[in-house]
Amino acid sequence: MTELARRRDETLAERLIHMNWLVLVSVSLLVAIGTATLYSVEGGSFEPWAERHGVRFLLGFGVILAMVAMPMWLWRAAALPIYLLALGLLLLVPVLGVEALGAKRWLDVFGLQFQPTEVMKVAIVLMLARYYDALPPSRIADPVAVFVPVVIIAVPLAFTLSQPDLGSAALYAAVGLGLMFLAGVPILYFAGGAMVAAFAIPFVWAGLHDYQRRRIETFLDPGADPLGAGYHIAQSKIALGAGGISGKGFMQGTQSQLDFLPEKHTDFIFTTFAEEWGFWGALGLLVLYAILLTLLAIMAMRARSMFARLVIAGAWSTIFVYVFINIAMVSGLVPVVGVPLPFVSYGGTSMVTLLAALGLALAADVDEGQNRRMLRRASRP
Amino acid sequence: MQGPGDEPRDGDSGFTRRALVVGALQAGALGLLAARLYQLQVLEGRRYAPLAEDNRISQRGVMPRRGRIVDRAGVVLAANDEMYRVSILSASDSELKETLARLAAIVPLSEQEIATTLAKARTTQRNEPLIVAGNLSFDQVAAIGLHAASLPGVETDVDLRRRYFHGRETGHVTGYVGSVERHAMDDEAFLRMPGARVGKAGVELGMDKDLRGKCGSRKFEVDARGHIVRHLDEIDPVEGRDVMLTIDAGLQSRVLDRLAGIPRGAVVAIDVTNGEVVLMASVPAFDPNDLTINFEPDVWKKLQAEPHKPLLNRAIGGQYPPGSTFKMVTALAALEAGTASLRERVTCDGSFEYKDSTFRCWNRGGHGAMDLTDALRESCDVYFYELARRTGIDRIAAMARRLGLGQTYAAGIGQQKRGIVPDPGWKRAALGKAWLGGETILAGIGQGFVLTTPLQLAVMTARLATGRAVVPTLVRRPDDARPALPVFPPLAVKSEWLDAVRSAMVGVVNDAGGTGGNAAISDSAVVIAGKTGTSQVRSTGGDRGAGGDAFELRDHALFVSYFPADKPRYAIAAVIEHGGGGGATAAPIVRDVIETLIDFDPAARVTTGSLERP
Repeated sequence: MTELARRRDETLAERLIHMNWLVLVSVSLLVAIGTATLYSVEGGSFEPWAERHGVRFLLGFGVILAMVAMPMWLWRAAALPIYLLALGLLLLVPVLGVEALGAKRWLDVFGLQFQPTEVMKVAIVLMLARYYDALPPSRIADPVAVFVPVVIIAVPLAFTLSQPDLGSAALYAAVGLGLMFLAGVPILYFAGGAMVAAFAIPFVWAGLHDYQRRRIETFLDPGADPLGAGYHIAQSKIALGAGGISGKGFMQGTQSQLDFLPEKHTDFIFTTFAEEWGFWGALGLLVLYAILLTLLAIMAMRARSMFARLVIAGAWSTIFVYVFINIAMVSGLVPVVGVPLPFVSYGGTSMVTLLAALGLALAADVDEGQNRRMLRRASRP
Repeated sequence: MQGPGDEPRDGDSGFTRRALVVGALQAGALGLLAARLYQLQVLEGRRYAPLAEDNRISQRGVMPRRGRIVDRAGVVLAANDEMYRVSILSASDSELKETLARLAAIVPLSEQEIATTLAKARTTQRNEPLIVAGNLSFDQVAAIGLHAASLPGVETDVDLRRRYFHGRETGHVTGYVGSVERHAMDDEAFLRMPGARVGKAGVELGMDKDLRGKCGSRKFEVDARGHIVRHLDEIDPVEGRDVMLTIDAGLQSRVLDRLAGIPRGAVVAIDVTNGEVVLMASVPAFDPNDLTINFEPDVWKKLQAEPHKPLLNRAIGGQYPPGSTFKMVTALAALEAGTASLRERVTCDGSFEYKDSTFRCWNRGGHGAMDLTDALRESCDVYFYELARRTGIDRIAAMARRLGLGQTYAAGIGQQKRGIVPDPGWKRAALGKAWLGGETILAGIGQGFVLTTPLQLAVMTARLATGRAVVPTLVRRPDDARPALPVFPPLAVKSEWLDAVRSAMVGVVNDAGGTGGNAAISDSAVVIAGKTGTSQVRSTGGDRGAGGDAFELRDHALFVSYFPADKPRYAIAAVIEHGGGGGATAAPIVRDVIETLIDFDPAARVTTGSLERP
């Protein structure tokens, strides 16, 4: 016990050496694929997307290192303030927000534009991790103890839905519930929650915006309006199909080169990639994501503190939800909800969010590793 | 010793188990995505590939140049004027509005024109250009090219407008072109081209397929807004073929001058050796340019409202009772049937009784005893009433058809009328009534139901003159493509009888008592053969030729003729609507036409290369 009290934090260099570099290698590969696809989308030009995509990643890489440098206790202490700050920003959006594409999502602070919903994605993970870290395991099944995280998730979710931002709301719900499950909340609660949700569907439907309803209707019957709302899905399927087994080749994808694809550089970039690289390319990209997710899953399972476990699981599940919703969306399995493909889609906000989540996870992993190393040293004779 | 992280906690193994559950669910979800991609890309890939091609490639027709029409001497009668026009690809409403506003700075566009284009764009398929304005100057086209970057989807091209030269003289023959009617549009790529024009009348209609040519095509790669990214493939159009006519524009002009002052009528002249129609004049004339390059919105109404119907080419579209010009048909039918002989005389006392009706001869006092030659020369009606009664309508109708009546010809000119060669079958089909004997009597002198066009009368005359089934044409084949004479099969009418009819026709013009003396020309070396006709407009068997009657009720004056009588070269038919007597009105016109023909073709008076009579 005394030895532990004398425990010192490892130096920055030590932390970096012990960082899980494999995760960063796979993320770098994904960013490289994104950059190449953006280069192709623009008909062989680094301007305007590919170059910025790469530069942003390099900046984000710096952010990761900075986050890894900070010890876990600092993050643990900052969790509640960060969550409350994110909630406050979310509340400010309807008042001070900038409107774009029919939705108010952006805040402009001293010329820096950002989406509070993105900040909240990290904040919810931190907050839930902090909560379960403090909760004695014996109280895990206590109804009140189950109710608190539901509120932590539901409050930002309600504000996000009203913005409206269906994609982020879905992510809060999926990641939040995932973390609750991993924290050990009994299955019965989830079953009950599912039944409540089933009853709530008609009321949620009534509360949705027209365009949101249209998207869901379009998803259910995309052929009904091929030039209208179903256009995106139809063109995306055409592009995927036209790619075939081996693809049309780099820079040869006509659907995206000729602008038939919507949002070909952001949400629909997977389609562009799959048109040019075919089924094998798409499968390769899926495998790369699977590797990244497996690395994160192993990290989470190796962690001993609940805080570290859930912070890592937060990054893990966030990346998974993004990947699944995005690819399921462009291949017509789920409605178009506007979720980017992690590290591949162009877009600063999602890149920062994902790298921040990843930075936290890596920092937690380094801390856990430090504990393990100290234990090994201490147990040596 | 245990570190805090190693503290045995409830749910440790729980976390790992649950993480494995989550991992398994994720693996399943990613597997589902892989399966979905396999379905879309591998199983259904072949179905989607052509859809992507369809998206990408836009095909557009390239208009062929319409063939020119020239007269027999090579004088251009119809050609194409090049006019620049500007078109725009339909795009989103707002984009189109902006582009049109910018375009309006270069090309004057009224609010109305912009509104029309926008309205059209809403109903037009993407990738199909809309014509915004025509008749641009070269400077405007250059300015549009200069501002191309700010005018997405805007293209300029050349529109071909039909211009007619000598339109007044040859307009009825050339006809005119017009835009494609909606119902004809899906036939052929050409017809769907914006601004495509097809023949509507005359040779433009009759030879439309030749003149039109075939559409070329251009394939473009287009982006989602329909803007051209690059050219992929180009197939040149097959230009329309030029058509050379058999008519002579100079001759037309001279004859139309001669017809000045005549409200309605037509003259046709055929070269009997090859069927070439060298002259086809119809009055009143019109200028086809009024329907193409000088088009004004109400020109159709104006032309249609004219009482003399100038758009009607009377040479092929005017149907008239042939009157006495039909008597050759009756004569030959009777001779062939044996119901008449060359020597037998029939006495004309001015009228003819049949059942309870009385049919009058034009000569109230009667012609006395007449043989066939006398009867043709003096155009005795009673003689032919009697022949018609003896011969019957079926034989007369058959002979009329052999001589070219009651039919249209593959002559390369559109809107020919068939006329009527009546018989009991026709009457039952057309009127639902039984044939009456009296109708045969009237048909015998070319009245009653019989209707012919001037072209048909000229063909009949050519066939009488040659004894061959002459077929007229308005399209001149190149000299080397013309078959050697004789081209037309014999009529299989005994030459003895044909000769009798011919010599009677010579008598009509040249003998005392002949009704067509006015047709004789000053050059006595050229013998003219002919036959007068004065056909009643009213169907009553009573008075005729009453000069005091209203114009519309006056008789039509007809004259058919061929020359030279011994070696025929040209056959002519003239119909002067409400002109009165054939001998008085039509014969002098034909005489002048013959003199003009000889003027243009001096060889005609001593024809050497004429057709062998069978």
